[in-house]
Amino acid sequence: MKRFVLFFFFITNVSTAQSFLTESGNVNFLSKAPLNEFNGVSDKLNGLVDLSKNVLDFYVDLNTLDTGIGLRDRHMRDNYLETETYPFAEFTGKFNAIPGLVVGSKTPVTAIGKFKIHGVERQIQVKGTLSKNAKGEVELEAGFEVLLSDYKIPIPKLVFYELAENQTVTIKATLKPKK
Amino acid sequence: MNKLVLLAFFGILPISLSAQLERKLVNANQPVELIFHAPRHINLLTVEPLDKKTMHFAIMHTFGTLDGGIQNLYGLDNGANIQFSFEFALNEKLSVAASRSSRDKVYNLFGRYHIFKQTQNGSKPFSLSLAGGAGVNTSNYSFLPEPAPTFGERTSYFGQVMLARKFSPKISFQLTPMMAYFTDPRPIYQIEGTEKFYLALGFSGKIKVTDRSSLSLQYIPNLNTDLRNNFGIGWDIEAGGHVFQMYFVTSQALNEQYLLAGGNGTIGDEFRLGFNVNRIFATGQKKKK
Repeated sequence: MKRFVLFFFFITNVSTAQSFLTESGNVNFLSKAPLNEFNGVSDKLNGLVDLSKNVLDFYVDLNTLDTGIGLRDRHMRDNYLETETYPFAEFTGKFNAIPGLVVGSKTPVTAIGKFKIHGVERQIQVKGTLSKNAKGEVELEAGFEVLLSDYKIPIPKLVFYELAENQTVTIKATLKPKK
Repeated sequence: MNKLVLLAFFGILPISLSAQLERKLVNANQPVELIFHAPRHINLLTVEPLDKKTMHFAIMHTFGTLDGGIQNLYGLDNGANIQFSFEFALNEKLSVAASRSSRDKVYNLFGRYHIFKQTQNGSKPFSLSLAGGAGVNTSNYSFLPEPAPTFGERTSYFGQVMLARKFSPKISFQLTPMMAYFTDPRPIYQIEGTEKFYLALGFSGKIKVTDRSSLSLQYIPNLNTDLRNNFGIGWDIEAGGHVFQMYFVTSQALNEQYLLAGGNGTIGDEFRLGFNVNRIFATGQKKKK
């Protein structure tokens, strides 16, 4: 009987050692239009990387995106992202191949999965790097492009030169081992 | 055995949860934003707050009555009342403002204070703000046979409560109980009222027609005078940092005291064309990260 109990603890311990979490990852949306370039930044990226089960799950509360101008933030939330209805940008997927991590060196990785924003879900591929630091944490860097029209976010002609159709998303996060 | 089942269950739980993260809002009480396009809606102030250290500049015009027809270019020949209004936000809740309206050359100093905001989760079903201020009529009355009014006799005051709710992404509504007081309402002033004290109830409505433009409505019934009620209907266009507001309204008044005491024409023939330009300037703009 005791062995049986220990067996379950063993399972959970093994799985957690391969599972990493963050609630304070960094996301950057770069909008590079002919007349105006600005960043929408959030440091509230939530993420999970599970290397044993090959699960990647990230989301960010889009209400936290900050472009540096309050009125622009409100227009972004109200007119474009419609955050009251669609508060999150999400990515759920897996690695093409589970990377082996080496402390101090960046391993190139490719993930495929579903990216969802503004209520529209699309299959995307994301390239990035993964590394392990001395504290046993996983450092992730990744980037991909988001075409606003793919996600039913129209840009009015009036602001066509100020808001880029193609948004460059970069992610930087340090994920701690799950306890 | 029961203990064992329990233990096994809790042992497995972390694994099953790790499949996907639970989606949580950073701020559960996320405020409802852009209830109106700007801090002004036709002539009335709104609950729309300003960011800290930003300035809102509004140029407002109303022209003559439409009934002169094409001969007077529908009132545009008959001299505009123009108000310049500068409002500066000391913080997210409090802003101070100065305005100057050409009708009776009135300078107004006023403030707006936002008590709370409507939230998306409904914990606050509406936004509540206050506004109040004092004005002075600086017209030259030296032509009068009797002594010109003193500074004190030229003063007027207003106070109002603003209660607004965004009912849906398209429809917003504001209720504005408002009062005005004239220290010495003389007939020479460009007001129709003869009382010192005025009480009214403002209704403002916004119906979004496209993503960036709305139909706007204003109705201000007087509660303690026989003056005609104010009515306005217009069109708001949001263009980046500007909000343009075009409207037909029954009064030429642009500041709060004169809106209540100034009197109104009839709806239709005595409509006046009005036009506001709202612009937000960010003075304390945050640096790019």
